[in-house]
Amino acid sequence: MSTEISQEDIDAIYPQVAEIVADALGCDEEEVKPNSSLIKDLDAESIDFLDIVFRLEQEFKVKIPRGKAMEEARGELSEEEFEQGGVVTQAGLEKIKAYLTEVPVERISDPLKSAEIPKLFTTETFCKMVLRETKG
Amino acid sequence: MSDSISQPDPGLAGKNAIVTGGSRGIGRAIVERLAASGMDVTFTYVSNETAAQGVVDENPGLAITPMRVDVRDSAAARACVEAMVERVGSIDVLVNNAGVIRDNLLPMLEDDDLSTVFETNIEGVFNFCRAAVPYMMSKRSGRIINISSVSGEKGGRGQTNYAASKGAVNAFTKSLAVEVGRRKILVNAVAPGVIETEMSEQVRDLAGDEITSNIVLKRYGLPSEIANVVWFLSSDLASYITGQVVSVDGGFKF
Repeated sequence: MSTEISQEDIDAIYPQVAEIVADALGCDEEEVKPNSSLIKDLDAESIDFLDIVFRLEQEFKVKIPRGKAMEEARGELSEEEFEQGGVVTQAGLEKIKAYLTEVPVERISDPLKSAEIPKLFTTETFCKMVLRETKG
Repeated sequence: MSDSISQPDPGLAGKNAIVTGGSRGIGRAIVERLAASGMDVTFTYVSNETAAQGVVDENPGLAITPMRVDVRDSAAARACVEAMVERVGSIDVLVNNAGVIRDNLLPMLEDDDLSTVFETNIEGVFNFCRAAVPYMMSKRSGRIINISSVSGEKGGRGQTNYAASKGAVNAFTKSLAVEVGRRKILVNAVAPGVIETEMSEQVRDLAGDEITSNIVLKRYGLPSEIANVVWFLSSDLASYITGQVVSVDGGFKF
């Protein structure tokens, strides 16, 4: 089984994920777009991410370890190589761009504070979180 | 909301509660009070199976289910909440009641007197809240009631460990209330004074009149008097109360 995530994979689960995001944030499903930033566009707070992940786990019968997305984004880089003084390094930025391919590159500011990374997460980011567990 | 002056509906019938440490004392009174209001109540006990079965047998017709769980075990707490939700469909009310006492003057306290009290009285609260909050967040409703103690605010001789653990419960309660308020989960604590239970027997025997002279109402409290307040905080009637520590102590002076 391939662990590559294709656009078809994402499209296949997107309706369910969008519904969960809308339910968790109490907004209309039409407001949720594949590339919506949950925090910037849909007014999500960090605690909402926990709720969304919990609902995704229930819906797709998977376990999504908390913090796993950040760990995977960092890849083989050590914490010091990835960020310094709360700001993502150049090497870290490249990793983020490669990992969050669904995020329009112009949204990834330079410099980027590590605390701002969750603001990049889109509905598709959460689709990929599910697919990494189901396909992994 | 209606302004009608007819008897208000507490809105508890058909909802589901879990009460930790429910086989005896205050916990048992809470289990019975909530179940008598039409709730499906799951309660935990750690060792006394006979007492736990007694709660079920002596309350025929009420939906009461015991589960053997040590609240100090976070995996067991999670499994307990999961099993309950699987069985009844939701968790609407969590009452963290399980607690232990290991009173002694500070120099006499053993390491185990500290760890047992902290692990049960505060870590147990963390464990069950961590397990239950995700379900409540998803439903955008829920009530959490932590049973604290008058010691948590006023302290007491021989109670450095117990009082500190209950003070932690109070601070925990206020913090969690802030975290989950937007999700319509209300978190409060009830701080009983000296209540007539097995757990307080030693304290009452040793102190006798000295304690009652410090209670405005000149008597000890009954488990049912704590259960009544927990019932109220669980109900729709308490819809605008969160982050509070409600003292139920007969007017305890120190």
